Amino acid sequence: MNGSFRSAGAAALAAALCFFAGQAVLAADPQLCAVCHGPEGNSIIPANPSLAAQPEQSISIQLFQFREGNRKDVQMTSMAANLSNKEMNELAAYFSKQKAAAPSHKTSSENAAAGAKLAQQFNCVQCHGPALRGQQHIPRLAGQQYEYLLTQLRKFKAQKRADLDGNMTSAAQPLTDKDIEILVDYAAGLSPQ
Amino acid sequence: MSSAPFRQFVPLVSLVVGALAAASAQAQAPAAPAAPPSWQQGRSAEQGNSTLHPFAPHMTGRASKDLPVDKLKVPAGFKVEVWADGIPEARSLALGDKGTVFVSNRLAKNVYAVVDKGGTREVKTILKGLNAPNGIVFSKGTLYVAERDRITRYDGIENSLDNPPAGKVVIDGLDPQNQPGHFWKYLALGPDGKLYYNVGAPGNIVMPGYFQASISRVDPKSGIVETYVQGVRNSVGFDWHPQTKQLWFTNHGRDWVSDDMPNDTLHRVSHKGMNFGYPFCHQGDTLDPEFGKGRSCKEFDPPALKLGAHVAPLGIRFYSGKMFPAEYRNSMIIARHGSWNRTTKQGYDLVRVTVDANGKATMQPFLTGFLQDEKADPPMWGRPVDVLQMKDGSLLFSDDYNGILYRISYAKK
Repeated sequence: MNGSFRSAGAAALAAALCFFAGQAVLAADPQLCAVCHGPEGNSIIPANPSLAAQPEQSISIQLFQFREGNRKDVQMTSMAANLSNKEMNELAAYFSKQKAAAPSHKTSSENAAAGAKLAQQFNCVQCHGPALRGQQHIPRLAGQQYEYLLTQLRKFKAQKRADLDGNMTSAAQPLTDKDIEILVDYAAGLSPQ
Repeated sequence: MSSAPFRQFVPLVSLVVGALAAASAQAQAPAAPAAPPSWQQGRSAEQGNSTLHPFAPHMTGRASKDLPVDKLKVPAGFKVEVWADGIPEARSLALGDKGTVFVSNRLAKNVYAVVDKGGTREVKTILKGLNAPNGIVFSKGTLYVAERDRITRYDGIENSLDNPPAGKVVIDGLDPQNQPGHFWKYLALGPDGKLYYNVGAPGNIVMPGYFQASISRVDPKSGIVETYVQGVRNSVGFDWHPQTKQLWFTNHGRDWVSDDMPNDTLHRVSHKGMNFGYPFCHQGDTLDPEFGKGRSCKEFDPPALKLGAHVAPLGIRFYSGKMFPAEYRNSMIIARHGSWNRTTKQGYDLVRVTVDANGKATMQPFLTGFLQDEKADPPMWGRPVDVLQMKDGSLLFSDDYNGILYRISYAKK
């Protein structure tokens, strides 16, 4: 049995649990979030983002966006629907203080340098920081789930991702499909802290 | 995208032509990025690695008990206290006839009402699903709301806060180009009964289109629109002098020139048709490095006062109450939201501006304490937006960073 097979099995099991957890709407309990976002918010489901060590404000703003219907997701829309501002702030504070796990993704050797160059060229580092670890309302990309990043960046490019101030939609417009793949391969493999 | 037709093209042509096309496609891909975010527009190549960036509010708000509210300072005899919190991104303020405080926002889609119930205040969401409803004004039972692309009216809303009436459109089509920047609008009702609103410049420093970079007015009865003044990059606050009935407004100067240039400005309008210079001339005396070529600042109307570079002046109110000392009457309280496009931050305060008999305006601090560390990121713990005079003569002001309203009162000693 190799490691990747075991982790794929664990991810499938987690995804199944996550699906059923999403059917319930419960009070603000970080353990409930962890069903889908992983232990202490370190996701093991490729489509779901890690919350651990994300900037506090970046988490609370996304919860707000889900609750207000600005950002939509089959599960998150219902999970956030009944959260108060206070509960959102508490969840954001909790997950921002968790330690991020080492990334599951390994950047390909050719994209390590190319990704760093594109991150400069397309202004990613301006807001997400030189190591893409995020700040204030800007999320950490370093070590984030590859599949999640790919989906989100493609949505920004397609102008279909909720965007508080329009900056990310605007920043994504000049990216080619290939740029997106390189940037995501690069960011997902960076050390989260 | 530019490579797709190229791939079909290759087999049909010689290697030489193919190589040329490849070179051209490669040169185009990185060299032709789409428009940068509007706040980056106009940045020079040397500023490309600048880490300066706008700040976003805490959309879920922050509880006042967790904030250093005791750091806020006002002049002797005045008192500042938290009046209400839990109002997402609290921006513009309007006062209903029955004492309801209406609160707008720019990035959310709701309008809130704060109802004072004998010292405890209830925050109600009264309007939902609006498009950047930054501008609000209340008059004779009607709440007017300026969204990104239209102004609507809600008649009798204060009688039915729990079941608000449907909005009726006063005017729409205000954002035909879906402009990327400065699309939020301020709204105020003039002494002439007309609604005044800004349409900002679509970017930091660009040639504005028809009716952009202006303050316009619309008669809510007839729907007739007039451009009132032009050359205004973006105003997010105006009020009328209680005696002269002249319009005064704050204006944001362009970014990415330098830490100290140009100033944001305060303007007095003596007649319709004035032009305050954007994009050609800034702060009344400085030509734009690009658009100023071949122009003169003498072509334009100068500001009444320079308010500081990048301080982002927003709400402005003439004080007409009786609670504050007599010298405050007819002076202006202006909220400075605070700078982002400056390495050493400034603003994040309320200032008082007085005008002497010769028309000379001077500025002095009124409320400070939000700025914690002018070199930090973020440098502040709160950001003032709009100022509202209450019936008892006290002032409320909003803080969009935390979603809080504060009250400033005065007690004779």
